[in-house]
Amino acid sequence: MIRVDQISKQFGKVTAVRDVSFEAADGQITALLGPNGAGKSTTFRILSTVIAPSAGAATVDGMNVQSQPLQARETIGVLPHNAGIYSRLTGRENVRYFGRLHGLNEATINERLDQLIERLDMQSFADRKTAGFSQGQRVKVALARALIHDPRNLILDEPTNGLDVMATRGLRDIIKDLRNEGRCILFSSHIMQEVANLCDELVIIDSGQVQFRGTLDSLRTRTQEDDLEDAFMSLVSSTDE
Amino acid sequence: MNGFLTVLRKECLDNVRDRRSIISSLTLALLGPVFFVGLMAFVLNTTLGKSDAPLELTVMGSENAPGLIDYLERENTIINEASFDDAAAADAVRDGTEALILVIPESFGEQFASGKPLALPLIYDSSSFGPTRRNYGRARDIIRRYAATIGQLRLSVRGVAPSITQPLRVQEVDVSSPAARALQLLSSLPYLLIVVVFMGGFYLALDTTAGERDNHSLEPLLIQPISRASLVLGKLASTATFGALALIAFLVMLAVSLPLVPFHKVGMSLSFGPLQGAQAFFVCLPLVFMAAALLTLAASYAKSYKEAQTYLGLLLIVPTAPILITQFMDFEPSAWLMLIPSQSQASLVSQILIGESLEPLHVLLSVAATLLIGMLFSLMAIRLYSTERILG
Repeated sequence: MIRVDQISKQFGKVTAVRDVSFEAADGQITALLGPNGAGKSTTFRILSTVIAPSAGAATVDGMNVQSQPLQARETIGVLPHNAGIYSRLTGRENVRYFGRLHGLNEATINERLDQLIERLDMQSFADRKTAGFSQGQRVKVALARALIHDPRNLILDEPTNGLDVMATRGLRDIIKDLRNEGRCILFSSHIMQEVANLCDELVIIDSGQVQFRGTLDSLRTRTQEDDLEDAFMSLVSSTDE
Repeated sequence: MNGFLTVLRKECLDNVRDRRSIISSLTLALLGPVFFVGLMAFVLNTTLGKSDAPLELTVMGSENAPGLIDYLERENTIINEASFDDAAAADAVRDGTEALILVIPESFGEQFASGKPLALPLIYDSSSFGPTRRNYGRARDIIRRYAATIGQLRLSVRGVAPSITQPLRVQEVDVSSPAARALQLLSSLPYLLIVVVFMGGFYLALDTTAGERDNHSLEPLLIQPISRASLVLGKLASTATFGALALIAFLVMLAVSLPLVPFHKVGMSLSFGPLQGAQAFFVCLPLVFMAAALLTLAASYAKSYKEAQTYLGLLLIVPTAPILITQFMDFEPSAWLMLIPSQSQASLVSQILIGESLEPLHVLLSVAATLLIGMLFSLMAIRLYSTERILG
């Protein structure tokens, strides 16, 4: 369960995020939707404890990300935007490194590694050095890395970026599976269609501010647009005026 | 502690698989001593040994000047007869078949007897390597001395004191000896050692910091539940590990190759064995830590890998600067010098090399001051990693 309460973040004179509040419940996929530069990544970075909010607070399973960062990190798995992996290590070694950083013992790490490799269909490349991996293979390694400590909450920053249709579909199924296990999943996207396929709850953000929170149906009702893309556009463009 | 070891292990593994980085770490450490020892042996062998050997001189027309030839032979010269025509003689020297040719013209006896001044061509090639120039000097000096003796005799015969022609005389006192030259070379060895320590962890410091950020793997790493101190110290320790490995490689190579230099020929006894190697290693260990901390800190400040590479390249000048300065100004190893990292290690290693016993206070000051500065750099690096700026 992730709760964001009126967070703002300023970089110098630029306000990246302003008074953003939302909740992402367990067993649900919550999408953070917004155009490029809307503040999605900044929000996620605050949630993943690497930057501190200028104002407001965020909690993950009740742990304040600012005052209890180490505990909060235990409960979240994060797939950052364009996450890099170590090219001289194999896929398995990349994931094992993060398992060890979480203080897991080797037996647990190996057991989970085997499960994740099977689940993410990585058998054919898990033991190769990752230099030269395709984008789809890289995302799988990064996702396995984010899941090795079996986190209750999952934050995925534009996970399908750069993936082909096949890989996108595969990833979508995996995300749904993870949701069905009762995890809280928060993911960001700038593609309405992808969000419509996947999410239970929707948060639309633009220019650092929340424009809408609710389900897809309530979005249609609110904007009186049947087409989700039109609905999205009407909310996003209205703030530019 | 666990996080620290995990980071250290991963960075070492990652680096071991990077051939470029390993080559850069160890090349200087392994080849430096070999090159150095080769140079020393060369210098000692060329300046030494042959100075007592007879001078070999090719002479054309030796029958024209038996007196001069006699004198030359008495002055430890081996005369090789030869007959070239003039052009061929110059060519023979130019292409190196002959090193030095003295030409005595047929008119020598006649002119000598009549007391007329006479030019004796001595053909040599000043651009050639090896002992030619020295041999040229020796031959010229012997002939000058012969000429001076003859001149003095002639003056005496005429009742003039020979000293009247020498109102002034330069007395040359050359204090440079082969031993001094060897020592001069030897004193640059600690300088090489300091560079080896810094080069050992050079690419590791880059890869673990600026490289990690350029690779977009820093952010996922920072999200892991380990303290920033463990993270930074783990990275720093991996850099130090390779600095220490380079240091060991260097010292082992030195211990193996230094006995090949003929120091006994200049009356020096230099023993650099396992004991001296171990001493040098422990004296330099604090510097390994400080170097790792400094490299890590500097590379973390940079905004990109390229920028970091530039910083670290410039940084290599920093540890060697005090050594160069003190070498020119000729400081004795003193307590306050021991407070300067890299300078103190260079000075202590020099003393180990020439077999002087180390002052315990000096060692203590060197270790303490270097560790303290290293810790300061480490703390600065940890603080830098605790800010948002580190994400770039």
